[in-house]
Amino acid sequence: MSIFCLGVNHKTAPVEIRERLAISEHSVPDHLGEICRVEGIDEAVVLSTCNRVEIYGGAADPAAALDRLVAYLESHFAVASGEVEFYRHAGEAAAHHLFEVASGLDSMVLGETEIFGQVKKAYALAQETGTTARRMNKLFQQSFSVGKLVRSGTSIQQGSTSVGSAAVDLAEKIFGKLDHCRVMIIGAGEMSRTTAQSLLSRGARSIIVSNRSYDKAVELASELKGEAVRFDDWETKLDHVDIIVSSTAAPHAVVHASAIRRVMERRRGHSLFLIDIAVPRDIEEEVNEIDNVYLYNIDQLQQIANEGKSRRERQIAVCRDLIAAFLREKGIEALAPVPEGHHRAEAGGKRNDTPGRPLPQS
Amino acid sequence: MDDLYLILATLAFLGGFVLAAVSWRRESDRPHGLNIPIAITGLVFQSLFLQVRGEMHGRCPITNGAEVLVFVSWSIVILYLALGRAFRLSLLGVFSMPIVFLFQLFAILYLAIGDPGAQPPERLDPWLELHAAMSLLAYGAFGLAGIAGVMYLVQDRQLKSHKPGRLFYSLPPIRYLAIALVRLVAIGTAMLTIGIVAAFFMQVKPTALHLIVSGAVWLAYTLILIVHAWRRLPPKHLSLSAIAAFGFALATLSAL
Repeated sequence: MSIFCLGVNHKTAPVEIRERLAISEHSVPDHLGEICRVEGIDEAVVLSTCNRVEIYGGAADPAAALDRLVAYLESHFAVASGEVEFYRHAGEAAAHHLFEVASGLDSMVLGETEIFGQVKKAYALAQETGTTARRMNKLFQQSFSVGKLVRSGTSIQQGSTSVGSAAVDLAEKIFGKLDHCRVMIIGAGEMSRTTAQSLLSRGARSIIVSNRSYDKAVELASELKGEAVRFDDWETKLDHVDIIVSSTAAPHAVVHASAIRRVMERRRGHSLFLIDIAVPRDIEEEVNEIDNVYLYNIDQLQQIANEGKSRRERQIAVCRDLIAAFLREKGIEALAPVPEGHHRAEAGGKRNDTPGRPLPQS
Repeated sequence: MDDLYLILATLAFLGGFVLAAVSWRRESDRPHGLNIPIAITGLVFQSLFLQVRGEMHGRCPITNGAEVLVFVSWSIVILYLALGRAFRLSLLGVFSMPIVFLFQLFAILYLAIGDPGAQPPERLDPWLELHAAMSLLAYGAFGLAGIAGVMYLVQDRQLKSHKPGRLFYSLPPIRYLAIALVRLVAIGTAMLTIGIVAAFFMQVKPTALHLIVSGAVWLAYTLILIVHAWRRLPPKHLSLSAIAAFGFALATLSAL
């Protein structure tokens, strides 16, 4: 009895293929039941996210089981025979693959944490459906330990990977927690909206929106549960904001150094963070020379995001070393020989053909 | 035995220094897990050293340069352990380790010269002990404030330059640094005030030089606090002031 993994992800298949293979959450139990009815497959877990569709399972003969599973997928998901190049892993390779997936090393955004929750959910769903037994239980529980170990023992999550996250990370390096920070948006464009949403999601207290077209400002303000301000009045609100995001279509500077100097005199030592995502730029460069004021433009944010990606890539080797050291110490529990007294339990614990009924656990 | 405790404490802080460098090389945003245990180990050996010296002199062990340096670095470590977490500045330890290690190293060199320190007094003066202990604890707080100031300036420079280096991810938010700095200066000034007040009740009155120097250090820090409360000193100026004031305070140690 061994374990296997079959799937496609963002590296091996375009979105057109992935969307055809995607398994929605409500249909996962049915598919798990059917997969467990495929000859030779005893256990199964389906992990279906926007970047991957993977099936993990246990089988006495993984190679044969994988061939049958491919035939099952081709017959159920409108993909022609041979149209999709599935990756196939068995034994140790399957376990290593899952460990890397749970650690975020196989994700599109390296080190992202969402996948860890998705793996947990996929396992919980399979458990509820009754398609897991000893191998899958051991495999997934160990993957959670590995995922936690990698996140706590390395810097794989560290560093921004997009312009929006770079802006938010910088704000946190200036103010710490953002729950006392007020944000002003000048220009109600898409980039402003995205950046403001990122700041709000990290706890920013309130949003003020100003735009040449007041209606647009009102629209965005109501979407973000903020306050709209007429474009002629935004300077009057500067004393009370901590972060300014500017992205107007103006051909000249909108925020001048002289205005910021005046504001800083009244702010009594409180920092001000300005994010200029407009091209041409909205904020005069001299603003960054004022004490306690930090100005970043789109290129500078992009550069930080690029460096963040490089930092994470440099951490891959550290993560793999950590996983290897963990496995040297613990071994892959799902592949460990079944203890003598557990043989019957495992034989008896082979998949239950009725989805929803938990399998006997060893 | 005291020499051994001093060397063991110094080695512990050297270990902390090395771990800090390793964390920095690995671009970690968290201090190494052994950072706190190492600081506690160093503190235990420092305390044992000070206890042996205290028993030897029959009074607070600050009778020669080595003891003063160990007492100040002991104050820095104990304040870091007590306040670092409250101020959300776990990395203060990483920055204070090199300073503490250097103080310890100078203390070893000083002891090697062979200054035995003072003989036990005929009668213990509790006001003298209070004066000395509170003043040196205040120096510990001023030392940590200076370190927080350096951290603020480093982080400010990285933010202004738009080129975050390795330290950027390891350092706390500048707002927290500025808040911690003010609190540490306030704590240090309060302790120094108690120390100076205690000096007026001592059996043997302090020398004029001692009083002038203590008063000048107290005045420097009190001025920082007054100007900050009155005009809300920009954090950058506050950091520079805290660093300069600690440099001045250190320079006056030999006169005390």
